[in-house]
Amino acid sequence: MEATATAPAWRANLATILALMARTRNEIIRVPGAAIPGVLAPTIFFLGLNGVFGALTQLSGFETGSYESFIVPVSMLQGAGFTGAAAGVNLARDYERGWVDRLLVSPAPRWVLLTGNVLAASARAFVPATFVLAIAFALGAQWPGIDGLVICFAMVAATAAIAACWGSMLALRFKSQSAAPLMQAGMMGLILLTPAYAPLALLQPWLEKVASVNPLTEVVEAARQGFVGSVTWSGTWPGLLALAGLLLVLGALALREMRRTNV
Amino acid sequence: MPAIEVAGLERAFGEVLAVQGIDIAVAEGEIYGFLGPNGAGKTTTVRMLTTLLLPTGGTASVAGHDVVAEARQVRSSIGVALQEAALDPLMTGRELIRLQATLQGLPPASGRKRADGLLERVGLSDAAERRVGTYSGGMQRRLDLAAALVHEPRVLFLDEPTTGLDPVSRKTIWEEVRALNDDGTTVFLTTQYLEEADQLADNVGIIDSGRIVAEGTPEALKGEVGRPHLELLVGEGAVQEAERACAGLGKLLPPKDGKRVLLEVENGAADIPRVVIALDEAGVAVESLELVRPTLDDVFVAKTGYHLEEEEDAGAKEAEPA
Amino acid sequence: MSDLASTARVVRALGARSIRQTFRRPQLISPIIVFPTLLLAIQTGGAGAGVELPGFPPVQSFLQFMLAGSMMQAMMLAGNSGGIAFAVDIEMGFTDRLFAAPIPRFAIVLGRLAGTAALGLFAALWFLAIGLIFGAEIEGGVPGALLAIALITASALAVGGIGAAIALRSGSASVVQGLFPLVLVVLFLSSAFFPQELMIEPARTIAEYNPLSFIVEGVREPIISGIDATHTLEAVAAIAGIIILGLVLSARALQHRLRVG
Repeated sequence: MEATATAPAWRANLATILALMARTRNEIIRVPGAAIPGVLAPTIFFLGLNGVFGALTQLSGFETGSYESFIVPVSMLQGAGFTGAAAGVNLARDYERGWVDRLLVSPAPRWVLLTGNVLAASARAFVPATFVLAIAFALGAQWPGIDGLVICFAMVAATAAIAACWGSMLALRFKSQSAAPLMQAGMMGLILLTPAYAPLALLQPWLEKVASVNPLTEVVEAARQGFVGSVTWSGTWPGLLALAGLLLVLGALALREMRRTNV
Repeated sequence: MPAIEVAGLERAFGEVLAVQGIDIAVAEGEIYGFLGPNGAGKTTTVRMLTTLLLPTGGTASVAGHDVVAEARQVRSSIGVALQEAALDPLMTGRELIRLQATLQGLPPASGRKRADGLLERVGLSDAAERRVGTYSGGMQRRLDLAAALVHEPRVLFLDEPTTGLDPVSRKTIWEEVRALNDDGTTVFLTTQYLEEADQLADNVGIIDSGRIVAEGTPEALKGEVGRPHLELLVGEGAVQEAERACAGLGKLLPPKDGKRVLLEVENGAADIPRVVIALDEAGVAVESLELVRPTLDDVFVAKTGYHLEEEEDAGAKEAEPA
Repeated sequence: MSDLASTARVVRALGARSIRQTFRRPQLISPIIVFPTLLLAIQTGGAGAGVELPGFPPVQSFLQFMLAGSMMQAMMLAGNSGGIAFAVDIEMGFTDRLFAAPIPRFAIVLGRLAGTAALGLFAALWFLAIGLIFGAEIEGGVPGALLAIALITASALAVGGIGAAIALRSGSASVVQGLFPLVLVVLFLSSAFFPQELMIEPARTIAEYNPLSFIVEGVREPIISGIDATHTLEAVAAIAGIIILGLVLSARALQHRLRVG
């Protein structure tokens, strides 16, 4: 028996990526309330941190008097981290249920299967990010300008992709949802060990050192620049470089795990 | 060229050798039944042949492609329905088959057409727009089977396709497998059900503890075991006495449960009177007597020393590593 | 007296089970300890300069200030976790086995709370140790430390009662688990992480009346300055209030569970 004729490789790969992204959409659309935790967590953190630490802007060294403006990019990135890590948890669940076998037994390249999962997380991250931003504006956060907004959302999408690579790597390594706390805690640590709560100069010495070497610091600063001042290329490119580097490293590690599922 | 060719295939998990150097040759258009108890190595073998698991020794080729060096080509040529019907409960039946078509690289139009045709073929057209989570076990298996066929594979792997199904659903799956084979698809079927292998398979390989202990057509295998045997249902606690009475009248086989004596006889029904007289003289009450022709379970007993069905009931073996 | 003795035996046995269950599963303990520890590190590192704000209470360090809040957070998560464990027992049918036994019904709840209290105690000890290791001083000395531990353990019992009530009422672990965000909200709306006077409205006003604030201040005072009767009594009153609320809710929920099965 002859196999049915297939589409050209690039078209087949693109169709597979889009189909896998469409599948993850079902989680939000078809499960009542499924989107709520992903939106609730960063929103609670935003409102809570703003209410608790808002007076910090009285310290000299803060570029803005509005703590909402200072912290909203962090909360948006937190939402992205949460969404990306959740993609890893879902992959682990799919593995436990045997669904991943269905994907692995198909001729679709491994990088295509991973890309579908990662891009889906990037797209979903817009939901909590937009929600938190709307609340921040309602509380008086500064308008970052179109350029600031675009850069911030680009950082959000890329951070979600990084988190999804991290989560996918752990999911394929441990093949179990029990790795979920590590997925979430890892991203939370990475995002908050930055000038998340205060400018770099006001951090405690140990955190200032850690934040100085944490690539996510550049991402936070780039996402924040429009909200606390003006957007410049010198304030943006380090963040883009950091994201590119993290995506390369974590993406490679995730792909390696995907290729080693049969070992 | 065989559709599936396996030589010295091995898979170790740490110290445990789950598959210990097996050889299999499955011809194009054949239904090959791979029979064995839980933990025998069936699923591990299937996972190696479908590229989900790397062998740790030996070689295997499927549809002319090496499972290690040409894994992608193997995946393009095979359809797989694994032991757990890996379905997404949130998707509809139609969405799932279309996704499978996309994964197989089919152009959208032909993928849609194939999906509709297959849903009709397996009797799921009416349920196609319902979520898979609402399907019964039998419906899920049929959907899984349809998904495995979307790209018209040369070789179809079915890992215990009817485990857990009611008799009606099982029969439906059997009919579908026969129909596929009539269309020319090679089928590699693993099962722990003797009747399934007997009914469907052109050739049967019996695996136990990672080794193939017998291989051949069902008839040839049963013929090897040879003779029919008598199954005597005696009273509680009378088995040993009955066995003593029957010793010398034939070959005593391992008992199946605590109440049945199994006696292999040379001359079939002609030996029944002698046996009945011997038991009567020994004062053993016989509740029922049946002349049983050899089955694949008898083949299994001859090769391994225990019953396949007894193993299923006892659940003595550990599950295979995933 | 013999009834009391036999009830005590039952509570002890069920409490021992609850404690064993809690500490045999690291995946239950680690979120309760790891998450608040991570947050403690990040918040002291990130917001530590806040001690320089006018109006900030005199403290040795922000870490010293934050210890009470971290203990509270771990305690609240322990209460939530205890509720989840109880709900799992209900889902698995284990509580039905207990209901069918000739034991006082409330002993079943008390036994479960023992596990929660043990987790609260563990959390208090953990954060005191963390504080001491990283240079924070307990101004109230050993008595101050003991008071903080006692208040946290009692709070765990109180919050555990609410968790048990929700578990009994809903019979579902996922419902109890879904309340985790509420734990964070309640904490943020208290003086757990920053002085109430320096918080932004409306959080400041809510924190002023939030019973958790009274408990936090009662735990914090012996650490940052020494034992203070007013703060201690306010904390005890708040804990007592939550215990009473937990008892009433648990009793009603228990009746409901026995009725519907």
